Amino acid sequence: MTAVTARPRGTAPSRPLARLLGDVLVPRLTAIALWAWVVFNLLLVAWVGLQSLKDSGQVWTDPFGLPADPAWHNYSSAWQAAQFSSAALNSLVITGLGAFLIVAFSAPAAYALSRSERRLAGPLTGYFAMGLSIPVQTLAVPIVVAKLSLYTFMEDWVTGWWDDRITLLIFEVALSLPFSVFVLTGYMRSLPHEVEEAAEIDGCGPLRTFLRVVLPLARPGLVTVLVLNVIGLWNSTLLVLLIAPTPDQRTLPAALLGLYSSMQYSSDWGGLFAGIVILVYPMVVLYLWLGRRIVEGMTAGIGK
Amino acid sequence: MAPPREARGTRLRPARERAFWPFLLPALLVYTLLFVLPSFYGLWVSLHSWAGPGSEMTWRGLDNYLALLRSEAFLRSFVNTFVLAVAGGGLVFGATFLSMVVLRHLKGRAFIRSVVFLPMIVSAIAVGAAVGFLLNPKGVVNDALGWLGVDAQPWLGPDLVFKCVIGGLVWSTTGFYIALMMSAVDSIPAHVYEDATLAGATRWEQFRHITLPLTWDVFAVAAVLWVVNSLKVFEIVIAFTTGGTPGTPPLQARTAAVQQYVSVSMNGVPELGAGAAMGMVVLLVTAVLIVLVRRVTRRDRVELS
Repeated sequence: MTAVTARPRGTAPSRPLARLLGDVLVPRLTAIALWAWVVFNLLLVAWVGLQSLKDSGQVWTDPFGLPADPAWHNYSSAWQAAQFSSAALNSLVITGLGAFLIVAFSAPAAYALSRSERRLAGPLTGYFAMGLSIPVQTLAVPIVVAKLSLYTFMEDWVTGWWDDRITLLIFEVALSLPFSVFVLTGYMRSLPHEVEEAAEIDGCGPLRTFLRVVLPLARPGLVTVLVLNVIGLWNSTLLVLLIAPTPDQRTLPAALLGLYSSMQYSSDWGGLFAGIVILVYPMVVLYLWLGRRIVEGMTAGIGK
Repeated sequence: MAPPREARGTRLRPARERAFWPFLLPALLVYTLLFVLPSFYGLWVSLHSWAGPGSEMTWRGLDNYLALLRSEAFLRSFVNTFVLAVAGGGLVFGATFLSMVVLRHLKGRAFIRSVVFLPMIVSAIAVGAAVGFLLNPKGVVNDALGWLGVDAQPWLGPDLVFKCVIGGLVWSTTGFYIALMMSAVDSIPAHVYEDATLAGATRWEQFRHITLPLTWDVFAVAAVLWVVNSLKVFEIVIAFTTGGTPGTPPLQARTAAVQQYVSVSMNGVPELGAGAAMGMVVLLVTAVLIVLVRRVTRRDRVELS
């Protein structure tokens, strides 16, 4: 950094125009643009929070002022209007349970793939990675069919009832597996083998080695994948709209969409912003807490 | 989870080799049964005319595909997706490259990187609702334009909304590509840049002749990723079109994913065969584009000795 400013004058051939462009204009303007972007993002997050505390009149008349009198009732009206209460519960359960199941399925698989010397391990890793490039549209119709058939099948033959939210959970898990297995396989490859070999020599079975030695060692990677899936499931919308779109079954993004589309009639804009906050702020808090890990996890296995 | 017997008796393998199948099978089964096989099932459905379980499935062969090629709505949605991939890709990577010029030594660079990444973790629906409020016909943006003497624009109306969607998409995803590329830039040793500075190279030239060649591999992957992701764009379109244009999203703003969603879930009797055929076309286009992008970005690997 200092080398640039301390550059001895005259050592480089002087090309004023190239210098002006390449050392001053492009970097300066880009830096200004980047900072403007940063300020915009931060203001947007704060602004949404402020808007959610204004009554619906002030939301329109004074969009950039501070709330005159914190209108907490926006939250209770959002909570009731679009059934955000059940949507929040659905989101919490599907996100929590789903992220846990994804890791529970993908961690042992990634461990097996990363440690095996079988010839099959390579092609199988590729088989999982293939799922990364299959767009969700290819699966949209099969998922709709599976949802309908599973419902009738379970209701008629097995349990006598069924809930489309279970179908949603199942497909959220299945569709997240390729990414999680792929990232975790790469991560587990980078872990040292010695400790688990020592555990084996001490007579630990494979399951105990995995639970007692490998999982604690791989904890940072597992947490990252867990968090990435939490973000993915929390924000997931298309699957919800396809599988469980009714007000009592949908999750928060779909509920917010429902609330937003009713704005022309209800004009409860304060409530809408409260809904946005309910959907966005938990993820922002998660990002403040684990930001670096999230960024590294999302870009891992691709950049290296 | 007992290890399979034959492996225990015949060959002396390390314990983890014996555990290979028990560890792998659950994920492998879920992935195969609920991801891979449904994809093939989609192919099967795409060759039929079908309104869903309970109704009769009639063989149509490739007719669904031929009908798609004649469907104006479908072609339009594909052109839109293509425009989005190219225009959005240009903007995203233009901004990413410019950031790579300065983000190596700018003060507060770690902070910038993490804040521009932030939209990535925010629901597109929430972005659409918040920004939709600003872009409303009577919204803040039009007020501001009014002070400047510019006429109010119907930002979320059928003609402009797609531009707003592209803008929103660029805004929300560029941070990811910056993070991706910068993680590669971070691994370039500092002395290379010091030498270049002594030789009189400007910042821009350092980017052009050092940073870009040395991160080209990652850029190739990032470009593939962009293409794959832009073919899936769905939520942000729905979010932007819900406010200004009630009902179904206007044709001008539909991407392939939106078009498929509309045809499967919004019309009275769903035509699943056509919907499945769209999914297959998108898969095919994805595969072709991946190969194409790979070819275009292929260069000799530059390595520091």
